[in-house]
Amino acid sequence: MTANILIFCAAGMLVTAYLMVGQKALFTTIRLYGVQSLLLGIVATTIAIAESRPELFVTAALTVTLKAILIPWFLMRTVDRIGIHREIEPFLSVPASLLVCLGLTVVGYRVSTGFQEGARGVGHHLIGVALSLLLIGLFLMVTRKKAITQILALLTVENAVFLVALGVTSGMPLIVELGISFDVILAVLVLGVLVRRIVGRFESMDVSRLSKLKG
Amino acid sequence: MNLLLWTLTVPLLTAGIGGLGGPRSFKELTMVGGLALTFGLCLATAGDFLAGSTPVAFGDALRVDGLSALVLVLCGFVGLLSGTYGVGYLRRNERRGLVTPRMRREFYGLIPAYVFAMLFVSVSNNLGVLWIAVELTTLASVFLIAFHDRDTSLEAAWKFLMLGSLGLGFALLGTVLLFAAGQGHLGEGLAALNWTRLVEAAPQMHPFTLRLGVVFALIGYGTKAGLAPMHTWKPDAYREAPSPAVVLMAVGMLNGAVYCILRIHMISKAALGPEFSGGLLLTLGLLSVLIAVPFILIQWNLKRLLAYSSIEHVGIMAVGVGLGAEAGVFGALLHMTYHSLAKPVALFSAGTLAQLHSSSDLDQIGGGTLGRAPVASSLLVLSAVMITGSPPFGLFFSEMTILRAGFSGSHVTATSILLAALVALFCGVAYQVGRIVAGPSPDPAVKAPDPERFDIALATTTVAAVVAVVSAFYLPAPLVALIRAATQVVWGTP
Repeated sequence: MTANILIFCAAGMLVTAYLMVGQKALFTTIRLYGVQSLLLGIVATTIAIAESRPELFVTAALTVTLKAILIPWFLMRTVDRIGIHREIEPFLSVPASLLVCLGLTVVGYRVSTGFQEGARGVGHHLIGVALSLLLIGLFLMVTRKKAITQILALLTVENAVFLVALGVTSGMPLIVELGISFDVILAVLVLGVLVRRIVGRFESMDVSRLSKLKG
Repeated sequence: MNLLLWTLTVPLLTAGIGGLGGPRSFKELTMVGGLALTFGLCLATAGDFLAGSTPVAFGDALRVDGLSALVLVLCGFVGLLSGTYGVGYLRRNERRGLVTPRMRREFYGLIPAYVFAMLFVSVSNNLGVLWIAVELTTLASVFLIAFHDRDTSLEAAWKFLMLGSLGLGFALLGTVLLFAAGQGHLGEGLAALNWTRLVEAAPQMHPFTLRLGVVFALIGYGTKAGLAPMHTWKPDAYREAPSPAVVLMAVGMLNGAVYCILRIHMISKAALGPEFSGGLLLTLGLLSVLIAVPFILIQWNLKRLLAYSSIEHVGIMAVGVGLGAEAGVFGALLHMTYHSLAKPVALFSAGTLAQLHSSSDLDQIGGGTLGRAPVASSLLVLSAVMITGSPPFGLFFSEMTILRAGFSGSHVTATSILLAALVALFCGVAYQVGRIVAGPSPDPAVKAPDPERFDIALATTTVAAVVAVVSAFYLPAPLVALIRAATQVVWGTP
């Protein structure tokens, strides 16, 4: 039962990442990120119950409140204020991007077999999905032009790292997790302020326009 | 509260007071006083360590060993320099009516906050705490890069934040993997991520996970250090940030990032021997030195030029560590020390020239600055001589130590490449600095730069120059003891 829930949630996270790659409406992309974080929270809760590790409940609660509710809300508010709702044509078309992501997933699963816990079973799926998610996040980051999408790509990478942590270690020390969560929320706030300033100056959040500095 | 905690609290309080409000002279006094006190506390903490005790706080999460003490003292020193220069920097801009209340708040708040984050990095004994501290340095510096609110500064800040966060994501993954590799041998709770514990447990770690963790962590913290090919944020950030903040980046954050790299290297060395992470550092270091050569030769901007020089120096340190010899490590740490003393002079004098000409572009500054701004120009020439590693100054000795360690070891080819690149870099910097200092003066009718005044910023630069010159001939015995202790920490078998 536990194994099924874990695999289902991990697979769900991978699906949200694929949908993010195929999506151009910013609001939907943000919601997808929220769903992804919610699934991460469920993974943490499931492990907490199955291995009776109470400190993982705190991790789960933090993940859900911060990443599934607070950060998406903040990003949506930012998008609303700016009034730009759609991603422009990415550097790579959607079908081609999806194909690349498929390749990245294969790579992620292949690397995961090197881990002690990744040789088989649930750990294999968690680590495999986490590494694929990491690669897809990096891919999103280099192919998208909108500032908000780049932030979401960064946050996806961060979710992937948390999933690796759950897959290979069943959680980092609690105080470290608290510190990391604090830093992440701070980083998102800073990014939000910076996006607003960029939009104020360039009247666009197309970061491919930020290309004056060279050499 | 113990001494170590005070060392961290004072800059944080200074930041809080500076970020609030109040009259200008009060803010100036707070920043300089706060940072001077911080430097004093850093010295006292290092003195405690030299006297034989090991300052710790929060269990064992913060701990001062030789390496921490060295980085702590260097960071405290540049923090004070940057604070005093900063007062002069902002005054100059106030006179020209360029400063808004937002800028004032950000400046007096973020500079001490940045110093706090750097000191926090240098005393963390714990991989998790270290990551949090490094992220804090990133966040504290973003708005300093975006400070002037120009198109280009927003671009630089955005690129810095994206690349920096990505690097930190990698570093976090590396941390998680290192933690995973040692599971079962590390124990529970926060202490499981302590260096001391990780180094002890390293020989029993799962090799695949460990290797992957080391690679990710080195790439992640290498991004913060500005090792090629993750260096691309550096020239942009250096050009856009105000000079006092650039000094904190070029010395404080660079030292902090090298500190992180050394810690990861120590874990890897204990488990896999010095070749694995050493080889990686050697490659990245050489690449950094080589990449700096063409960009310095064709450079169009003075502050970007110094950014590439920074990339070169962090490359030299990485090569020194990567050589896998005790002399190499000692050379790298000596290099870090001398670089911390010489680089502020270069950045401060370049910053003064840039402020006088309202631009740091070489063709905007034009030639013949020696006539217009004699003090800043001569200090720039002096610092250029120092940072290119010319005798008789300190960086010459540290570079010679590294080269000698390389030629007497098994990395003769790599060392020869390093030597050739160093010669080319010397020529590049000399050519560019000569062009603006001597060179033909621009037509005075076209643009009149502000006249040079001997203010607090220039005075700070002069003091820094005196310290840097004296250090070449006389390095205080406690500082040498710290460098030796740090070498022992990195190289010595626990």
